[in-house]
Amino acid sequence: MLRILENKWALTCLTILCWSIVATFSTGYFYYQYNDLLKRTEGNPIHVDIGLNYGNGTVRWYNNTKATMGMTLFNVTLLVAKVNYTMYPGMGAFVNSIGNIENSYPFYWMWWVWASYSGWIEGPIACDKYVVTNGETLYWYYENTTISPLPQPS
Amino acid sequence: MNTVKVATITILVALSISTNYALVSLSNVKLMDFITFIGGFLFGPLVGAFVGVLSWSIYGVLNPYGFVPQIWVATMFSEAIYGMAGGFLHKANINFNGKSLRHMIFLGNMGFLLTLTYDLLTNIAYAQVLGQNILVAMIIGAPFTLTHEISNTLLFGTCFIPLISAIQVMGVGNVTNLGK
Repeated sequence: MLRILENKWALTCLTILCWSIVATFSTGYFYYQYNDLLKRTEGNPIHVDIGLNYGNGTVRWYNNTKATMGMTLFNVTLLVAKVNYTMYPGMGAFVNSIGNIENSYPFYWMWWVWASYSGWIEGPIACDKYVVTNGETLYWYYENTTISPLPQPS
Repeated sequence: MNTVKVATITILVALSISTNYALVSLSNVKLMDFITFIGGFLFGPLVGAFVGVLSWSIYGVLNPYGFVPQIWVATMFSEAIYGMAGGFLHKANINFNGKSLRHMIFLGNMGFLLTLTYDLLTNIAYAQVLGQNILVAMIIGAPFTLTHEISNTLLFGTCFIPLISAIQVMGVGNVTNLGK
């Protein structure tokens, strides 16, 4: 008699192994499809709304900014403002200043994205890793980062 | 080799080929693997492997999806894995009497892993023939691979014990140790 049949945990592990293989294949497939789709649609014109809040009461909106598919928030921001940044390998671009407003503790440039289902969402990754989509609304906010939770754009 | 054995092997080969043609519209859902596994369980690893090789040698030549000699050879010998595994499972002398969930899960997992091995081997052959990257070939073919693996998991898990019990009643093959 096979030992695996006597041990329910060994059998459970075997089932989890099979399930993980299915999950890995599915993830790989969808990741490939996503990248393929991105590559095929790259270069198509899109429009995004981008807001800049300088933290001193000045808010500038660049609505219907022309961009192309595959562009990141970083690329789009460069289209509308002068940006000073530092590239951190493996992590991405860190924005030091937009316009003439530089990061100065505790005020830093943070970015937000508007989601119709939940309102403003704080940028979860570096701006040069976030690929923008057509019709999206993005917002740069120079804000006090010591406040928790971070103040949302109003 | 007695006549009952020869007749049973012939029926198994005929069944696996005919069901493959019958299920041609359902891509990658096939009974051939399961039938080859049963052949191995009934008559041992070598005969099981023979059932697999013989089935694919006929079906592969008249393959509705097309004939590529290298892929045909790869699938033919990869199919033998099921028959050999069936034979080795019989040698493990497991008591499949009764509907044990544990047995069904084990057989389902076995079907999954055997199919995964088969798909890996055939995808490697496919990638080599078409000059593709093996990893890319695996990923692009994932929906077909997963359909094959999941259908075989369900087939091995749910159909093996009832079928073997029926064969035991019929007295075909070497399954007299089942009810120990």
